[in-house]
Amino acid sequence: MRRYARLVILVAAAMLAQWWWSSHGMLGGVAPQLLLVLTIIVAARHGAIKAMVIGFFWGLFIDLMSARLVGANALALTLVAYGTGLARRQVDLLGIEPQCAIVFALTPLYFLFWGLLGLLFSGSFLWVGWRSFLFDPFYNCLVAALAFLLWDPWVEGKPR
Amino acid sequence: MHRETRAANYVLASFTIVSLTLLSFPLAGPVRAFEAFAGYVLDPVAYYGAQGVTRFGGIPGRLRDLISADIENHRMEDQVKGFQWIKQEAESLRIENARLRAELGLKAPRSKRDVLWASVMERDPMRWYRDIRVQAGSNSGVTLNSPVLGRLGGHLVVLGRITEVRPKTSVVLLVSDELSSVAAYVACASSGTAAGQPPRGVEGLLQGEGGARLRLNYLSPDAEVRLGDLVYTSPTSTTFPPNILLGEVSRIFPRDPFLTSRSVEVRPALEASRVKEVMILKQSAATAAKLEATARAAMGEGGEEDSEGAEARP
Repeated sequence: MRRYARLVILVAAAMLAQWWWSSHGMLGGVAPQLLLVLTIIVAARHGAIKAMVIGFFWGLFIDLMSARLVGANALALTLVAYGTGLARRQVDLLGIEPQCAIVFALTPLYFLFWGLLGLLFSGSFLWVGWRSFLFDPFYNCLVAALAFLLWDPWVEGKPR
Repeated sequence: MHRETRAANYVLASFTIVSLTLLSFPLAGPVRAFEAFAGYVLDPVAYYGAQGVTRFGGIPGRLRDLISADIENHRMEDQVKGFQWIKQEAESLRIENARLRAELGLKAPRSKRDVLWASVMERDPMRWYRDIRVQAGSNSGVTLNSPVLGRLGGHLVVLGRITEVRPKTSVVLLVSDELSSVAAYVACASSGTAAGQPPRGVEGLLQGEGGARLRLNYLSPDAEVRLGDLVYTSPTSTTFPPNILLGEVSRIFPRDPFLTSRSVEVRPALEASRVKEVMILKQSAATAAKLEATARAAMGEGGEEDSEGAEARP
């Protein structure tokens, strides 16, 4: 019960944090993809299914907040969760380095996939801009490292 | 196939179908209904988030203000402690001064006066350098001939005296008025003042000229007055407290061999046109009655007027 309560709080807090960060906490016009990072972390720690469920709803939240293609982020985060879940079987993703590495690798893929969905369904490539494309992987890496440090004591409720 | 992998594939397929449906039919009724529903559910996140940001956004500023106020409070408490000592010292000096005055047979200084701040409510353009009307009258304890001071930086400056009192308003005759005169002295730079003592210099009578400048008359012909020397109220003044700034010497008139005194032009320290608030030094009822009687007697007899102009306006 307590575990599910923590999960609900995590989902809501992450949505709030993502909204705040992208609307108030930008650094040089760049905001990290917090929900992408958290989806990857959930997938790395708890497997693909849980991450896909959470990622899908987080994606829908981003879609509804951005008022562009509804379903694009939901699909992208679902696939990210699925991919990370598959990778989890081959590679140990529980350390800080592999988590940062997979976040770094998946961030540009996530942007490109989102853009391609735009090209397919709205007729124009949804380009996030060079600044976000180049700097967000690094920014997300930093956020992933921070999330890694805070995950156990705050989310799992156990000391590191 | 592994059971978990198979379940993951099902979940992926389901979510992909839902996502593609949402992507494919962005304007279809069900999709729009879903959008509206999800927006309704998720809107509070943004709404309460914005409220929270607004509410908590001001906290750093308020905290900073609070800390600076606390620091200032501590500083002022220290200052107050220092002022208590200064007050004690001033009190002992006052007692010593009274004793010495009594021994020398000097006139006792005027007793402590109450202070009243009043706003300037009217300036007549036709009488720009003559008078102003202030928002305090007999109801507030203002009496005729009460000295009126202004504030320049951290110093008090003479503005004029009360010449007309009504219940709620009073008229201040400015020192620049032609009928105004104040016993004053020039603190000559060459006079050399002892440390801690007020500057003393050449005594004279400062008179208004109905313009922006004043004239200090009856100075000793040998007085070494320089441009920029400051002019203060004299301790011999019957109306004003001593050593209050009046202005500075702005022009020195050449000596007239046929006169036994010389004059200088004085620029007032504070232009009355810039004053928004004045300080009225209230006098005790006895002093006010005495001054008024003296002024009336002088006018009734048509004799010499007081060294300082205290007569009523024509």
